[in-house]
Amino acid sequence: MTEAIIKADEAGENTILVQKSLRSGQTVEFPGNVVILGDVNPGAEIIAGGHIVVMGALRGVVHAGALGDETATITAFQLEPTQLRIATHITRSPDGTDAPDIIHPEIAMIRNGVVVIEKYVVPK
Amino acid sequence: MGEVLVITSGKGGVGKTTSTANIGTGLAMLGKQVVMVDTDIGLRNLDVVLGLENRIVYDIVDVVRGNCRLKQALIKDKRFENMFLLPAAQTKDKTSVTEEHMKALAEQLKAEFDYVIIDCPAGIEHGFKNAIAGADHAIVVTTPEVSAVRDADRIIGLLEASGLESPKLIINRIRTKMVQAGDMMAVDDMMEILAVDLLGIVPDDDTIVISTNRGEPAVTDEDSKAGQAYRNITRRIIGEEVPLMSLEEKQGFLDKLKTLFGSK
Ligand SMILES: Nc1ncnc2c1ncn2[C@@H]1O[C@H](COP(=O)(O)OP(=O)(O)O)[C@@H](O)[C@H]1O
Ligand SMILES: [Mg+2]
Repeated sequence: MTEAIIKADEAGENTILVQKSLRSGQTVEFPGNVVILGDVNPGAEIIAGGHIVVMGALRGVVHAGALGDETATITAFQLEPTQLRIATHITRSPDGTDAPDIIHPEIAMIRNGVVVIEKYVVPK
Repeated sequence: MGEVLVITSGKGGVGKTTSTANIGTGLAMLGKQVVMVDTDIGLRNLDVVLGLENRIVYDIVDVVRGNCRLKQALIKDKRFENMFLLPAAQTKDKTSVTEEHMKALAEQLKAEFDYVIIDCPAGIEHGFKNAIAGADHAIVVTTPEVSAVRDADRIIGLLEASGLESPKLIINRIRTKMVQAGDMMAVDDMMEILAVDLLGIVPDDDTIVISTNRGEPAVTDEDSKAGQAYRNITRRIIGEEVPLMSLEEKQGFLDKLKTLFGSK
């Protein structure tokens, strides 16, 4: 287990809002949370110390909790990443799968030491 | 005052030079004053595609170095009085052309011509930056392949970053049968990622290869499907509303059917 330098909750006060889609070759690196109002295309990359929220299709590579925070999450309207990383955990989309027919927001997080992806439900 | 259009793609071999030759010729057929500029120094071939190779005396490097006047380097087309080519150099050092040179050149040319069409080299380095330096608008060419679309996306990002907003897209070498079989990217899927306006779709067509070898762009061939696609594209460039060719409609329709049956 790595030690978090910044915890997602602390970084919560430190959030950047990116008001455009990220195209291939474009990157966002930020020690806090990152919110994208747009898509993250294949070949684009986000590295965040905290959470990542994509208000669009996430198809690139994203790393949440990049400073070691295992409580960081990745949420997207359409979660089809090339690769997801949370803290030191890495997961990739299964090979050869097409986009699903039904699109709904999903969230990725670490549970019991593995990255799990679930339908996003509004916390009550 | 004319307009400077740069034709670019990132990935090589997707049809930039083919598109430049056909769009330039297509615009000339509509009576516009057109000049095409080949900026692919060291790998020039726009002159070959246009069948003008044997007329080259001076080239773009001679112009920027002051070896000749701009007018002396412009080659008049064989068929169209109103169409010219400024050829690239084949052998000279490509670093001799700078972004400043290209801006000045674009200004000079658009004072005389309705359309200045710039054929861009592959890549995102020096040659690409030169090619876009004097452009007013950009046209991005891609083929229906994942790698080409990825590079197109990259290029669109770079164009936007250099102030060339809302580039237009040409999808080249569509093979309807392969798209229907799911072996090629569908137009909708490409548009979803690239999120720019579609200028046209050009089928994969042997008449392109034949016409290229003959030095007569397919756009002049009434019977060529790809030629028809380029005639449509040129009319869209001058501001006419031209519906997409049927090959595209059919494909969209089948795609929808496939999604209905969940076999995407
Ligand atoms: N629509 C098409 N159908 C068939 N062949 C094509 C088509 N477009 C381009 N080609 C061929 O593909 C090759 C590369 O095209 P070119 O225009 O030189 O690409 P670029 O300038 O982007 O490197 C050429 O041999 C050309 O004849
Ligand atoms: Mg070329």
